[in-house]
Amino acid sequence: MDRIGVDIGGTFTDVVWIDSNGSVRFDKSFSTPGVLYEGVLEGIKYLSSEEDAFEDRLKDVERFAHGTTVSTNALIERKGAKVGLLTTAGFEDTLLIGRATLSRTGGLPINQAMDFTFTQAPSPLVDRSLIRGIDERVTLSGEVLISPTPDRIRQEVLYLLECGIESLAVVFLWSFRNSAHELLVREITNEIAPALPISLSSEIAPHIGEFERMVSTVANAYVAPLSNQYLSELGEHLRLQGFAHTLHVMTATGGSILPSEVDNKAVSLINSGPVGGLIAARYLGEGLGWKNLITADMGGTSFDVGVIVNDKFEIEENPFLAHGLPSKLPAVKIVTIGAGGGSVAWTDGHRLYVGPESAGSDPGPACYSRGGQRPTVTDALVTLGILHPKRFFAGRRELDSEAALNSIKTFIAAPLGLDPYDAADGIYKVVTAKMADLIRKASIEQGNDPRTFNLCAFGGAAGSHAALLMEQLGISSVIIPYAASVFSAMGISLSDILYSAGKAFPLAVEPTESFSFEVAGTFRELISQVEASISASGIEREKFIFSFELDIRYKGQINSVTVQWDRPTLKQDQIPLVKEAFEKVYERRFGVGSTHKSAPLELIGVRLYAISPLVRPELSPVPSPAEWSENETRLVYSKDKGWYPITVVPFNKMPSELELAGPAVIERGDTTIWIPPNFAAVRDRYANVIISCKKDPK
Amino acid sequence: MKIDPITFEVLKHRLWQINDEQATAIKTISASPIVVEGNDFNVGLFTSDGRLVTSGFGSTVHVGTMGTAIEGIISQAGPIGEGDIWMTNDPFIGALHQNDVVVASPVYVAGAMVLWTANVLHHPDVGGIDEGSFCINARNLYQEPPRYLLKIVDRGEWSQSVERTFVTNSRLPDQVALDLRAQVASINVAQARLVDLIEDVGWPTVESVMSQSIEVAEAQLRDRLLAIPDGIFTGIAYMDGDRVGSERLSKVTVTLTKERDHLYFDYTGSDQQLDAAVNCTEAACWAGTAVPIYSFLYGGEIDWNDSLRKCMSVTAPLGTVVNARFPAPVSISTVGFRWLVTVAACQAVAKMLAGSPKYKDRANMSWNVSSHCINIFGEQNGKRVGALLSDHRAGGAAGRPFADGHSFAGNVTSFSASLGNIEDTEWKLPVIYLFRRQLPDSGGAGRWRGGLTAESALMPYGVESLVYKVTNTAGTDQTNALGLWGGFPGAGSQTSIVRNSSIAECIADGRALAEISNWGGELVHLPSKADGTLYMGDILRFYPPGGGGWGDPLDREEELVLKDFKNGVVTSEFAGKLYGVVLTKSGDIDLDMTKELRDSMRRERQQFKVVSWPLLDRYNMLENSDDLVVTPIGAYGEINRAGQLRCRKCGTIWFGSGAVGVRQSIGPLSLAGPWRALRWNGDSQRFSLSTLICPTCSTIIHVGEELKRE
Repeated sequence: MDRIGVDIGGTFTDVVWIDSNGSVRFDKSFSTPGVLYEGVLEGIKYLSSEEDAFEDRLKDVERFAHGTTVSTNALIERKGAKVGLLTTAGFEDTLLIGRATLSRTGGLPINQAMDFTFTQAPSPLVDRSLIRGIDERVTLSGEVLISPTPDRIRQEVLYLLECGIESLAVVFLWSFRNSAHELLVREITNEIAPALPISLSSEIAPHIGEFERMVSTVANAYVAPLSNQYLSELGEHLRLQGFAHTLHVMTATGGSILPSEVDNKAVSLINSGPVGGLIAARYLGEGLGWKNLITADMGGTSFDVGVIVNDKFEIEENPFLAHGLPSKLPAVKIVTIGAGGGSVAWTDGHRLYVGPESAGSDPGPACYSRGGQRPTVTDALVTLGILHPKRFFAGRRELDSEAALNSIKTFIAAPLGLDPYDAADGIYKVVTAKMADLIRKASIEQGNDPRTFNLCAFGGAAGSHAALLMEQLGISSVIIPYAASVFSAMGISLSDILYSAGKAFPLAVEPTESFSFEVAGTFRELISQVEASISASGIEREKFIFSFELDIRYKGQINSVTVQWDRPTLKQDQIPLVKEAFEKVYERRFGVGSTHKSAPLELIGVRLYAISPLVRPELSPVPSPAEWSENETRLVYSKDKGWYPITVVPFNKMPSELELAGPAVIERGDTTIWIPPNFAAVRDRYANVIISCKKDPK
Repeated sequence: MKIDPITFEVLKHRLWQINDEQATAIKTISASPIVVEGNDFNVGLFTSDGRLVTSGFGSTVHVGTMGTAIEGIISQAGPIGEGDIWMTNDPFIGALHQNDVVVASPVYVAGAMVLWTANVLHHPDVGGIDEGSFCINARNLYQEPPRYLLKIVDRGEWSQSVERTFVTNSRLPDQVALDLRAQVASINVAQARLVDLIEDVGWPTVESVMSQSIEVAEAQLRDRLLAIPDGIFTGIAYMDGDRVGSERLSKVTVTLTKERDHLYFDYTGSDQQLDAAVNCTEAACWAGTAVPIYSFLYGGEIDWNDSLRKCMSVTAPLGTVVNARFPAPVSISTVGFRWLVTVAACQAVAKMLAGSPKYKDRANMSWNVSSHCINIFGEQNGKRVGALLSDHRAGGAAGRPFADGHSFAGNVTSFSASLGNIEDTEWKLPVIYLFRRQLPDSGGAGRWRGGLTAESALMPYGVESLVYKVTNTAGTDQTNALGLWGGFPGAGSQTSIVRNSSIAECIADGRALAEISNWGGELVHLPSKADGTLYMGDILRFYPPGGGGWGDPLDREEELVLKDFKNGVVTSEFAGKLYGVVLTKSGDIDLDMTKELRDSMRRERQQFKVVSWPLLDRYNMLENSDDLVVTPIGAYGEINRAGQLRCRKCGTIWFGSGAVGVRQSIGPLSLAGPWRALRWNGDSQRFSLSTLICPTCSTIIHVGEELKRE
């Protein structure tokens, strides 16, 4: 069976095609805004080797998985649907008031957030005039204090329809404890406007905390119509071209869903693309026997880190959908800072800063000669000789090394009184140290020692920083994958069908009947939700593996610890077991003695996952030369060693399974891989490059 | 040992990251919304003598206090050893008030003490006469929470007895126990990483990076100060009511003299200390003064550390509300006079920044000027429950020189002090909110409008009664929510109670709960410090302050006023009264009427008599600005070499040789809008609104709140 993974980004559309023999082909082409599916079809056509047999080839494709930025872009660019919002009267301003600062500075890079005066709350997703209150009230126990009248609901819905809304969001206080009022709104609205998409907060994000629930629900209403339209267009075109199966869509939770689920899950497509990278990394890790992996996606502007512990992704409970928009939609955790090839180096005469501002690709680094004056990391790498001016991105962009040097002289070396080459080395070191510190943060803060991890590095800047990160973090091996330039698309093609459901509401952990009853009831509710999705998907129930999680905290804490649990119940006699598991995870993070045995525990939420694992493809080896050709050398500079010669190897001249000792660079089309002294690299049979450290890691 | 800039940057970032990890640990372990949502904590790394090297991004008011507390521990705790962790909440040692527990521990290398790690966190209750420990009923220090200086970990051994002593004095023992664990665990986390780093690169290198961090930040700060013209800038903030039953008016005044690269803050003129817990200590006065400098001038670019001590001096006369003599009560300090020190310092700093061509956009005259703290305690199912409401973080901030002010701004001490969700509050406390909504017309009018505040209403639910403790810094009379350069003050923070409402009938009949007209009952407005009992059927209604405006409201674009009207930010009544914008019934601007109204408002301003420049603020040209003929000051002024302060619009000289002066109008405070002095039907008996007007172009160039002249 063939499988295709597609990742549409703002600039590029990446396609990966793995055929039944396990051979991998991939393509990167420009996205086609407005008619995004055309770019997708172009990419696929390009990859189907015989032009005329395209339709036949597509018939062989059993799996077509898709990561799309349609939803992300609609949100960021505020180009989503015109949404109407009904909420509990008295709380119509919840979106505007937000959480005070969390909704203004949250989701910003820390140095921007700290700039008190200049932060700005993001523009709202719903016009204030389209937010209407309904007189209704439910209490925390789910008891109804005030029932809404159908007449009032009808009147408000009609008003909003008259205003031209394209999508309706309904968010009542405590609706996740009692959803009757939200369901009533849907029932009445369906009578008036059967085609109007409706997002209910009790379904989209059944979690305590009305602001985040409202953000999640409104964002869903905002992006669902566009996402649906796009997916049905794409599905239709694929069918016309001969594709006979169902399209799968990647979500930020780490798996795929079917387009029929998108009404209620459109919001989970937001920020789903980068998760593909973690899936692909996990896949490669499985082949290498690496269970603990740190992923680092290093591009021109940002550095994104993910952590895989024992084959499992870490989950962020309250991720930001975008600046100022915190959600209650658990997503695979990826942390990011502004650091990459385009990061601008600057000084105030006292300190050397690198980033977070990026020169982007236009005007780009000084060495692009496109009007950029200020030095960037790329300029430093050209100056140091690590990047060859004529072989950058397979020679697609010639770099002006003199412009790079001049820019470093003018903006960094002169004001700080440094030698320009030392300044270039400094820029390289400072940005790499920031990357290493982010990896430390992502791993150590969760109780994971980076020395027990391997690193999977991809993206254009991966090659120049990977080995240095190993050295700074004491990591023993790095893999720079063959398909690094389209790594998310690769992961998307390998993603499992994943249904998840969760409910979050604090419940005191007590050895009582009613506690066990409540937990079992909640799980039953979630299981029936997920089973409904499964039966709609047409995949047999038996193909799904269920797993369960409990989020536990000390009473009153805001953050919780996730405990893996093996069943959808929690009986009285199991409470000590759960407590033990909680304390174990807790002490791993905060040290022995940090637990407070007498403090009461709270169950803050339960979650279940149903995964239908796909058969993992067996990849076929990528051909390589049998032995080394004569290698060239060139000089690179470092502050400690001065100018010294290194070996230069074009990737396609690199035989597999033979060690290349540093200092050396491997010039691959997508990235230039720097192998410092004391490091060595091997190209494996699948054309991945694996770097290892030849001296004892720290 | 001089470290090269690259090694410095690499290791400094590492130190920052380690300290940040300390903060993350606290936020994760703490069970207190004050910490996790309110960000009322901070963490730091210190030299062996207690100099702050790097602070976390918690509250900027805590940046200055941890080091003072370490100095206090060093001088008063007796022998200190490796593996010790100390805790103190003594305001006369360095804590802002008794709720703030500083936990500090030294790090040793080869038997020698080399550095300290410390953190500080606001505990929800540490005892004392009033629930929540803001002792609005205390008259002396001994009615306040105990003050500790204790060793919680002795040479690596956790002290059960110390923990017990601390915890048992709290009304919320489980919460403070976890908070204390959070503080100790985070110290352990930071120290483990520091030991690794020191092993890695050697202590001499780390030591050099630490001392250079302070030096480099100092150099960066001096550069910034030199880009600001010298001058004299004043600030004043009033407190209306200092304890339950006392409505005394007291004040803090500050004069900031800025000379080259040094700031001299002088609080001479502030009132004598009070027999009320609102006083602040000298350390708290310093910390409060530092806030606008860290928040607006350091921002995210300079490390928040002791570099400021080299460039800032504070004079606070002993025995006043800003430097209370032991044993004055101080448990409300942080939301009492410490808060008002920050309010007054922010005013002086805003005026100063407004004259800097480079940093003028950072001028911010008022930012949540009253901490409208309400503690709610009660008993539910035999268990004590209690918490500080978070609604006070919804106050507004001043209009900025380039845009409207932040609505629901949080605090000027923290860029991440967040408002809690209604549902989370209802989960923790037996209350039901009837509404939380933006308060129209609460942002001070201006060319750029001040930020709005939000109003909340709640009632007991599931209990017979609840105790409330209102610790509103000030603002039930005057607002303190000042604007700058013609901007009007925003709403003053207020608390009201509707007694014996008919809310039960509303519920029974299914009538709208959020409609105030449905409530019935008797409306009572409370003074700034008040306590009592809320019974079933009583409704608590309250809001923190709005922000002041920037620039004359008649200069605001009509379109922006219309947009505000459509978004429920400004009512049509005050669109007319304050902005001179006439809106039609259908919600559009009547352009002709608007022009007419604005013209007539300007003409009316001509009636007031001209006086000589009455303000004490003095501006100068920027030094070394040979290319400049004049330096623009604020929205409308400019100063030249001759020291003439002139109108940028029309050239009229307001101050200096050949000055014409300015027109001054003294009117009721209610001219600035609704939502002030509710206890006196919206107008103050003690304060008036003073307005200065350019005699030629009729632009309002200053609006202040002044004590009524006899």
